[in-house]
Amino acid sequence: MRDDTALWDVPRDPTHPIALGPATLTPVQLTRQTLVSGPNVLHQTDLPLVEWPGAAPSGPYALALRRDRVLQVNAPETPDGWNDTTQQATSDVTDAYTVFDLTGDALPLLGRGAEITPDIPSRSTARLLFGLGVFLYRLEDATTYRLHVPRAHAEALVKHVETAARLRAR
Amino acid sequence: MTLRLPTGGLIDRSKPLHFTFDGKPFQGYAGDTLASALLASGPRILGRSFKYHRPRGLWGAWVDEPNAIMSVTLQGRTFPNCLATTTYLEDGMEARAVNAWPSAQFDIKSGLDLFHRWFAAGFYYKTFMWPDWHLFEPMIRRMAGLGHVSPQHLDDYSSDQTHERCDTLVIGGGPAGLAAAEAAAQSGQNTLLVDDHATLGGTAHQLPEIDATPTPDWIAARRSAIEAAGGRILTATTAVGIYDHNLVGLAQSGPFGTAPRLIRLRAGRIILATGAIDRPLTFANNDRPGVMALAAAAEYLARYATLPGRDIALLANTPEADTIAAQLTQAGATITRIDPAQNPLSARGGKRLTALQAGDRTHPADTILASGGLTPLVHLWRHAGGKLDWCEARNAFLPGTPPQNMTAAGAANGTFDTDQALEEARATGQNAPIKRPAPTHRITPHWPTPGSPGRQWIDFQHDVTLKDVELAARENYTSVEHLKRYTTLGMASDQGKTSNMPGLAAMAAIQGRPIPEIGTTTFRPPFVPVPIEMYHGPHSKQLWNPLKRLPLEPQHRTANAALGDYGGWLRPGWYGTGDPETRAQSEARMARDTAAIFDASPLGKIEIMGPDAEAFVNFIYYNTIATLKPGKIRYGFMLTEGGAVFDDGVIARLDANRFVISCSSSHVDSVRTHLEAWRQDGNDPDRIFIHDTTQHWATLTVTGPKARQILDTLDLDTDLPHMSLRETEWRDTPLRLARVSFTGDTSFELSLRASHAPALWDALTQAAKPLNAGPIGVEALSILRAEKGFLMIGKDTDGETMPHDLGFPAPRQKKTTPFVGDRSLHTDKANAPDRKQLVGLTVPSGTPPLPTGAHLVTEDAPPRSLGYVTSSYHSPTLGRPIALALVANGTDRIGDTVTAWHLGETRQVTISPPCALDPEGDRLDA
Amino acid sequence: MQIFTCPFCGPRDEREFHFAAEAGKTRPDTTGEVSAETWATYLHAQRNDKGRTREVWMHLPCAELFLMERDSVTMEVFSTQSLRKAPQ
Repeated sequence: MRDDTALWDVPRDPTHPIALGPATLTPVQLTRQTLVSGPNVLHQTDLPLVEWPGAAPSGPYALALRRDRVLQVNAPETPDGWNDTTQQATSDVTDAYTVFDLTGDALPLLGRGAEITPDIPSRSTARLLFGLGVFLYRLEDATTYRLHVPRAHAEALVKHVETAARLRAR
Repeated sequence: MTLRLPTGGLIDRSKPLHFTFDGKPFQGYAGDTLASALLASGPRILGRSFKYHRPRGLWGAWVDEPNAIMSVTLQGRTFPNCLATTTYLEDGMEARAVNAWPSAQFDIKSGLDLFHRWFAAGFYYKTFMWPDWHLFEPMIRRMAGLGHVSPQHLDDYSSDQTHERCDTLVIGGGPAGLAAAEAAAQSGQNTLLVDDHATLGGTAHQLPEIDATPTPDWIAARRSAIEAAGGRILTATTAVGIYDHNLVGLAQSGPFGTAPRLIRLRAGRIILATGAIDRPLTFANNDRPGVMALAAAAEYLARYATLPGRDIALLANTPEADTIAAQLTQAGATITRIDPAQNPLSARGGKRLTALQAGDRTHPADTILASGGLTPLVHLWRHAGGKLDWCEARNAFLPGTPPQNMTAAGAANGTFDTDQALEEARATGQNAPIKRPAPTHRITPHWPTPGSPGRQWIDFQHDVTLKDVELAARENYTSVEHLKRYTTLGMASDQGKTSNMPGLAAMAAIQGRPIPEIGTTTFRPPFVPVPIEMYHGPHSKQLWNPLKRLPLEPQHRTANAALGDYGGWLRPGWYGTGDPETRAQSEARMARDTAAIFDASPLGKIEIMGPDAEAFVNFIYYNTIATLKPGKIRYGFMLTEGGAVFDDGVIARLDANRFVISCSSSHVDSVRTHLEAWRQDGNDPDRIFIHDTTQHWATLTVTGPKARQILDTLDLDTDLPHMSLRETEWRDTPLRLARVSFTGDTSFELSLRASHAPALWDALTQAAKPLNAGPIGVEALSILRAEKGFLMIGKDTDGETMPHDLGFPAPRQKKTTPFVGDRSLHTDKANAPDRKQLVGLTVPSGTPPLPTGAHLVTEDAPPRSLGYVTSSYHSPTLGRPIALALVANGTDRIGDTVTAWHLGETRQVTISPPCALDPEGDRLDA
Repeated sequence: MQIFTCPFCGPRDEREFHFAAEAGKTRPDTTGEVSAETWATYLHAQRNDKGRTREVWMHLPCAELFLMERDSVTMEVFSTQSLRKAPQ
C-alpha cells in the first residue's frame, strides 16, 4: 500500500496545443472513429484508404490497420456488431483513441520514437512509437503528421514527444 | 619547461584556457586535450596504475591511452574516469588523477609496488580463501576500481536518442575515410561520414601535403566535395558498436559534462576507415612515464604542436619512424635511433626517465618512443561478424572474410601507405572491387621474449606483466579467453587496445605456437567507454514503462485519491488522507453497510465477432460458453495450453455472433495477443474478428445493499437478474448495464463511453452521498473479494494452478469439445493427489492477520512446506483476520489445524473453505 | 537491432515483433486419445536449430501471425510469409 500520486504529473488538458520548439502537438477532436474488420474490408470501403506515409483528406477516410481491418475516421455512424451481409464486424471506438496533429519540424521528433521514414511506405498505419501502439500517417498537406494513441497512453505519448523535443534542442 | 612549439598544430593560441591538475594551475589552448595541455606544460606523471600504483605517463594520444584517467570537475559538476587524451580542454577544468592520493606525483599507496611479488595473477583467488573470502571482500573492494562516482545528481544529464539512416556510412575521417566518403557521395549514395575527433583529418595532419596539396587545403577540399554532393559529416561522433542488420551505434559528444547523443544509424553499407594504432614493445620497465607510442608523438606534434620530450630514444621497426624522427628533429628534439632487436632493453629512472639501457650501452633520454608495428583497428569489423586473417609481412591481424555490406579501407585494412590507401578508399567509396595492395614494407617482428629479465608490462592499465602471462601458462590458462580472465589482461577500460596483441603474442611464444593459432579474444561493443546514460536515454521515471491513465483520473484526484500502480494502471488505492490501512478498512465497511462506487474502467472489453465467434470462445474458454444465451454472462477461465489458469473473468453474449470478454484489468494486452494467436493459428481468421474496445468504455461498479437505490436516482431500470446484461441508454448515450459481483453484494457494472464517464461519476457520487455511500479504491475491493473467497489471478494462483485446484472441476470432467489446455488437465501431474488447492485460513479473532507469503508446514523435522498464504486481510465485516492460501490437498484438509511459519515464527491456523462471508449468497439479491 | 518484414506492413524494426513458436507444430486432435508422450512433445519439445530456422512470429501493431525463415547464428532473414490461405 503506497501512495504514488506525487510520482505522476496531472494529465494535461487534452484541448490545448503543446509547443515543442520548432514543432507543435495539437489535440484533434474527431466526430467518430469506427473499427471495421472483415475478410475483404480493404476492398469494400468507399472511403479513401490511408496507408503510410499517406495523405488523409479533410473529409472521412479509412486508415489501413491490418490485412483485414480499417479504422474509419469521421465516417457516418453504423451499427456495432457483426453484419452477415457485408461480412464485417463493427465497433464504435471514438473514445478509445486520443488524436494529435504534429506540425512543424515533426519528422526528427518521430525519429526519436521509432526507426521511421516516409521513404519506406507501409500498407499499415499501425506501428510502435516510443514503445506505444499508435496509428501514424500524414494529412494531404504532407507536412502534418496525425497520431492516434490509445486513450490511456495519451499522456505518456505527449510526455515522450515533449522530452524528445527538449533533448533534441540540446 | 614547456614542450610547446611557438607555431603549428590545430590549437588556437589566441584562446588560452586555464585549468588545474591535482590542484596545481596550468594553461593550455582551445583545441588542446587535457593530455596535450599537460604534456606541453611539463608534468610527466598523469596517473597511477591499478594494482601497484606505479607512476604512469602518456602512452597514447587518443582512444588507445591506458594511463591518463582523470576525474574532471567543471562548474561544480564532477565526472569520473575521463580519458585525458580524448577530453577536450575547457576553461576552469579541475582534473585529478584517479587511483592516486593526494596526487599522481606523490601517491600514498605507491609503496604497494614493493610487494609486487605477492600480487601476481590470481593473487586474490589464492590468498583470500581462508577462512572466508567475505572477511576480506569489503577491504579489497575499497581498494579496487578506478575513480569515484560523484554523489551529485545531475537532473539535466540525459541522452538524446534518435534513429537515422543512410546508404553509405564511412567510419573515420582520416585520409582514407575522406577519400572514400567523397567517392561515395559523388557516385550518388546518401553518405554519412563520422569521425571521433572534433577536427576532421585523422593522421593527415601528420603529413605536410597529400596529393601534392597542402594538407589543410586537401582536407577542406574533401569536406566541401562531400557536402556539395549531398553527403553529411558528423565530427566528435564515435561508432561504438555494430549490431544486427547493419545497425550502428553512434555516440555524438557535446560540450564537456553533457550526455552523448545516441544515434541508432541503419546503414546500407559501411566503410571502415578507422585507421591503426601503435602497439607497445615489451621490455623491462616499459611502463615508465616518458615511454610513449611513436604514433602518439606524431599526433602530439601535428595536432597540438607539442614535443613528447627533448632527448628522445627511438625504438621502432616501422617505415613511419623515419618521417616522424625527421619531424621531431626539425622541431628541436634530439633523437637517438636504437634497434629494438638489441637485448636486453630496459628503461632507467623512476618518476622521471633518465636513460634507455640497450645491451651494455646506456643512452641518456627523457623520453622513449616505441612502436612494435601498427595494429589495424578492426573492433567494429569483428562486432559485425567479419573474420580476421593473419598477415606475416605486416605482423598484424587484417580484415579477412567480410561481414555483409562492410568493407575496410586504408590503415584499418592494413594499407598503411597513404597513396595506396587513397586509391583503395576511392575505389571502395565507388563500390568498385579492389584487391588489398601489397605491403610496401615488411615488419621485423618484435614480440615479448618469455624468460627475459625485468618487469615487462603487457597491460599497463591493469598491471599485467609478462611474468603474469607466464604464470598463467604454467597454471594451464593457455586459451586467450582464460588468460584474459585469469590475469585480467585486456579487461581494463581501454579493453586491451594496447595489450591484446603483446598478450597473445607472449602466449604464442611461451607455447611455441604461431600467433594466428592462438587467436584473439572477442571484440565487444562499446569501442570506447560510454556513459550508461547513453543507453538509457529518456526512459526513466514517468517514461519508464508508463502506466495507463484512467479517464476519471482528474475526478479521483479531486476526491483525494491515493493513486498507485495496480496492474499497469494508475488507480485509486484508497481515498482520503491518514493511515492507508484504516482508510481501506472503513471503505470496505461502508461497502458492506451502504454502497460503494468503484472505478473498474481497466476491466477488459474485448469483442469477439463473426460466424465462428461462438466456436472460438468455446475453444478458448475452459468453461462451456456455447450454451450462453444472448444477454447473459458467465464466469470462466482461460488456460494456457499447459493447463495453467491464464486469466479469469466474465464473458457476456450480446447476440448470436458477438461476445464481450471482460478479462482481468492487468491482462488485457496479453489476453488480446493470446486470442489473436489462436484465431490465426488453428482457426479460420476470416470468420472470427477480435476488437479490443477496452479504452472506449469507462466502467463504474456500484455495489452494496443500497446499490439499487443509487441507480434508481439515475432513472436506471435495475430489474436485471444476476449474471445478465442489458444494452440501454443514459442521457442519450449507450450504456451497458451488467449484473455481476466481485464483492458478494448486489452489484451493477455501468459501462459507457469514456468521454461521458465524468457525468456518470458525478451523478453516482452525488446520489451516494445522502446514503452515506461513496467511492472505494482497489485496497478495499481486495478485502471485499477475499471475504468471499474470490481469487485474483497471479496473486491467488501461480504458474501451476489448474481450474480444478480452484474448485471448478466440472468442465475438466464433462466438456466434450476441445479447448485450450484440455489434454494438460489429465496428465499425471494434473491428477496428482498433492496438488495445491485454494482454501481459506481461519485464525482466532484478536490476533493479527497472517503475513502474505507465510508457509504452512508439516510437523516433520525439518518441517516441509504444504503451501503458502496468497492473500491476507483483516475483515471489518467479520471482525477477524481472513486469508486465502494454496495448500497441498487443501480441500481434504478443511477443518484441520496446521502450523503457519514465517521468518522463524509459528502460529496455529485452521483450514477452511475459501468463502468466509455469506457462503449461502444471501447478500447477492439483498 | 534487426529488421523483419511483416508480410502485410513491410519492413519494421524488431521491437514491433514477438516470437510465437517454432514452425511445424500441429495441435494434436484432443477429441481422441492423445498419449502423454505426444502431448508432452507438442508442448515442450523444441528443436532450437543452430543455423537455418523456421519460426512463427507476430507483428504486434497489426497482429499478423507469420512464418519467418532466418539464420539463428548470423541473424540473416531469408523470407517471411503470411499464414493466410489466400494472400490479399
